[in-house]
Amino acid sequence: MKDIITIVVRLTVSCLLAASVMGIFFILTSNAKKHNEHVKEQQVMFELLGYKGEAKPPASLGLHEVYRYVITGNDKQSIGFLAPKGGEGHGEGEGFLLVNIDLNGQLIKADPVTLSEKDAIEAEPRKKAVEQAVGPGYEVKFADQTIIVTDNGKRIAYLVGGKFQGFKTFVHVMLAVDPNFTILGLEVLEHEEDPGLGAEIDQDYFKNQFKGKPFEALKAIGVVKAPIPPEYLEALNGKVGEEEILKFREQYKDKDVYALTGATISTKAVADGVKGIVTKFAYRMAVLDKVLKEQQLAVSF
Amino acid sequence: MQLIARGILAENPIFKLALSMCPAVGISTTVMNGFMLGVAVLFVQVFSSMTISIFKNVIHPRIRIPTYTLTIATWVTVIDLVLAAYLPDAYAKMGIFVKIIVAFAIITMRLEMFACKETVKDSFWDALGMGLGFMVGMMVIGFVRELLGSGAVMGYDVLGFKPLLFFILPSAGFFVVGLMMGFFNWIELYYKRKKGVK
Repeated sequence: MKDIITIVVRLTVSCLLAASVMGIFFILTSNAKKHNEHVKEQQVMFELLGYKGEAKPPASLGLHEVYRYVITGNDKQSIGFLAPKGGEGHGEGEGFLLVNIDLNGQLIKADPVTLSEKDAIEAEPRKKAVEQAVGPGYEVKFADQTIIVTDNGKRIAYLVGGKFQGFKTFVHVMLAVDPNFTILGLEVLEHEEDPGLGAEIDQDYFKNQFKGKPFEALKAIGVVKAPIPPEYLEALNGKVGEEEILKFREQYKDKDVYALTGATISTKAVADGVKGIVTKFAYRMAVLDKVLKEQQLAVSF
Repeated sequence: MQLIARGILAENPIFKLALSMCPAVGISTTVMNGFMLGVAVLFVQVFSSMTISIFKNVIHPRIRIPTYTLTIATWVTVIDLVLAAYLPDAYAKMGIFVKIIVAFAIITMRLEMFACKETVKDSFWDALGMGLGFMVGMMVIGFVRELLGSGAVMGYDVLGFKPLLFFILPSAGFFVVGLMMGFFNWIELYYKRKKGVK
């Protein structure tokens, strides 16, 4: 009996000790970890926009995050876009504007939301602020976020994140599209496809096939089950000059993507997924833009 | 000093004690992989050995194994967190390997055989030796497999072709480990005989 108690006590004490050591280190490192993730995300964004390695983004470049929320009331549903406020002065940190749009594309109301830049990055305080702006009786659910890239106040690109079903689990991607919804770049953030087969979707030669595809071609994109022509493959891998690459991009821009050997399903999933993300995004953006223009709402982009 | 040398040569964890064969076979496909896992194991081994050595008098003998596991798991988690926070690039490559260190036989074995009986100072040197021995072993296997499997050394293509693709598959790890064991035993025998003659 005495043994049982000593064993229990000692194991508990060692567990507590271990837990506190781990806890201390977790607290010490969590900030740095968050910072790393943020830096990595930023890096992916800038790489998608073409600022790779030495090329630094110009100071006139502005990134404006727009968060989309689904607002559910008693009997109706609407979409809330949380966008940074703009207008006179164009100063940063002026707070946000919640544009509440019903499912027919009509504005319900637009409320200013006071939220600091720092809090806007965190999911919890952001959601609280939105809930407060919407008022009681509505349920607010975060849907996705988009980044609108401007250069000297002119829109140059959108960064859209998304996920879709791959061969095994969800594939998370980030897309850069220009204002006409032509694809500027595709980055695969997370996936669990089979190594050597479906996992090739994160290789440059696959991702680059999507570069420069116009919106019209993307709407009807399919998959070709054939090997990639060797010259095109060279261009996709970036082994030839810049002009050559652009020539090939022009030549293949309306064509379907080539399937990866032994991974037709993964290829098809990516093609369909990208198509879905871009078409839905284009629709939403059109709705938001229409409302913003009609109602003369000032936002920062 | 002797303790370090013993860890690397006479009692090399991989070639002599034949412990922790899973990582030795599975991960050592390149020199760099072997090196990174070796470093992580070295840290975990040193920290765990010292912790156990410090607390050896208060650990109940009946529950020493759970205590060891707990200690190792704690240090692995700490190293995992620190790596993720301060060396994100290295962590992206070896993150998954770090977590499995918890189950490495070599660490538990050193705690059981050495750290729970000896002083903190000796435990430190023993752990350092064992960790280095493991690292060197992993790197040697990695070198052979990388050279023969993908025709490269440290990621640089030296041969220009891939001689035996078979060597980067896990099963070839056993071949390399076996041949290395033979080689190490042969060296030892050779020296013993030489001494005998003198």
